[in-house]
Amino acid sequence: MFDLSSLTARTIFALCAVAIGFFLFFPIYWLAISAFKGNAELYRIVPTLWPHAPTLDNFETAITRGKLLLHLKNSLIVSGSAAAINSLLAMYAGYSFAKFQYPARRAVMLLLLSAQVFPFGLLLISLYPMMTDLGLIDTRPGLVLSYIVFALPVSTYMLYSYFSQVPSELIEAARADGASELRIFHTIVLPVSIPAVVTVFLYGFMWSWNDLLYAMTLIVSEDKRTVGPGLLLSYLNEVNADWGGAMAASLVASLPIVIAFGFLQRWFIQGVTAGSVK
Amino acid sequence: MASSAAVESPPLRISPAARRGGLKANERRIGWLFLVPALLAFAGVIALPFVRALGIAFTRNDLRTPVPRFIGFDNFKTILASPEIMGSFVTTAIYVTAATAFTLVLGLAWALILNQPFRGRTALRAASLIPWVLPSTVTAFVWGWIFNSRYGVLNAGLIELGLIDRQQAWLSDATGAMTAVVVTKVWLSIPLFMSFFLAGLQSLDREQVDAARVDGAGNFAILRDHILPHLRPVVLVVIVLGLIGNLQHFDTIYALTSGGPVRATTVLSIEVFRRAFDQWDLGLASAVGLLWVATIMPAAYFYLRHLLRGV
Repeated sequence: MFDLSSLTARTIFALCAVAIGFFLFFPIYWLAISAFKGNAELYRIVPTLWPHAPTLDNFETAITRGKLLLHLKNSLIVSGSAAAINSLLAMYAGYSFAKFQYPARRAVMLLLLSAQVFPFGLLLISLYPMMTDLGLIDTRPGLVLSYIVFALPVSTYMLYSYFSQVPSELIEAARADGASELRIFHTIVLPVSIPAVVTVFLYGFMWSWNDLLYAMTLIVSEDKRTVGPGLLLSYLNEVNADWGGAMAASLVASLPIVIAFGFLQRWFIQGVTAGSVK
Repeated sequence: MASSAAVESPPLRISPAARRGGLKANERRIGWLFLVPALLAFAGVIALPFVRALGIAFTRNDLRTPVPRFIGFDNFKTILASPEIMGSFVTTAIYVTAATAFTLVLGLAWALILNQPFRGRTALRAASLIPWVLPSTVTAFVWGWIFNSRYGVLNAGLIELGLIDRQQAWLSDATGAMTAVVVTKVWLSIPLFMSFFLAGLQSLDREQVDAARVDGAGNFAILRDHILPHLRPVVLVVIVLGLIGNLQHFDTIYALTSGGPVRATTVLSIEVFRRAFDQWDLGLASAVGLLWVATIMPAAYFYLRHLLRGV
């Protein structure tokens, strides 16, 4: 796009690239290397730029002393279930918006999408007593249900955009053959929409995996805690902060989501920016 | 994808026009049926809590009043009379403006850089998304460690460069803490902003840019006359999305500063959380929450209108 044949242009471009790149990537580098530093190297006024005496001690203490693995398992169960339910709901709703005509369609769509703009903190105030009344406070199902709010609006919209591109002739033809609407959706529309469904699943998974607010409030027992609040409550204690352990545990907690994302990022970006950019 | 199958599909046996009458009622019913699960979930975890919060805002409902008692607009009067709560609106304005503005500039710059062809660009684009997918606690840990007053690499780096002469206690100083939470949020949001800009740049007419270059336009002129005008709609969407996201943001601020020192980083999300779950004053918390929703509404209006155009 830019002509970088002149030295000035190249210099300015390189300076900007290095500065922003440094801002984006240095913290990740620092997280990664700090996890491999022993306490003697970690707590120095002038830090070393790479671990001179790399050690796995932080990982060992993070895994054996804390409840990291248990919290990871909880996160996996909660995020997996929340993402699955969210994808199912968004699938049918998105299909309905994309391929059916009915009077209040636009209004319902507006209602559903508007959920994205309600601050979660406000909903939590009344969600909390509601969950208590239902006996769902401090339970994983309660947290899973609450997580639907995060991803449903955007997921529905992503699938709506995707399904809109599936040719209607395909659906009409199956209808003419006498296939039921559910069958048409399951055997014709869904198979060609797997990338979009996977993206929506990952999107829902990411929201739940990364959440702190709901997980911290709706779960009280340490044994049911998910990884976000689990990390916070285990490591960020002013009197006795274990930064090495915090970095190692952070690395372990981030790996699943970063790896999943690495495989699917291309689809993911298309899905998230769908409809908003044209 | 689906298009090749569509071409091979058998011709319709009944003309669409002939079927239309019976189909329409059926279509309406089935369309609604497909919506039922999502609408039930929406009603349960979004609509109902919101309506209840709306009700609670007009009641006294705290530890001494476990059963809500209607008090009209008293909570709102309390808010207006409280310099603390009014202060959190100001803090929110500062936080949201700074976070949105810096993310906008850096996200745009980074997208323009990654739009330039060079080796390793694809990998760099993918890696640029990492800050966005990290759990919020991890993000807070990373920056908490960087901003650490005694062992933080930021202080060490700034002293090394001669920019400061002694360690700054970033997180226990009002300005320092605000800087830290803004920097953290900017870092976290650049990937999303960048993705929108990159998507927008794909539809830029390259021939037009090349023609302008032949006419003698320099890089700056191309940016000003072609790229920025082309990205205008994307910039608007991104600003609106950024405002909504930053107005709602809670996680990394809470994990980094819990709204402190004192109240220096107590934005509305923290204010509502503390009133509700530290002080258990649900009435006042809901009232603040409703005003919080009101601050989001203008941006939300533009965003929803944008999403639903052409529906």
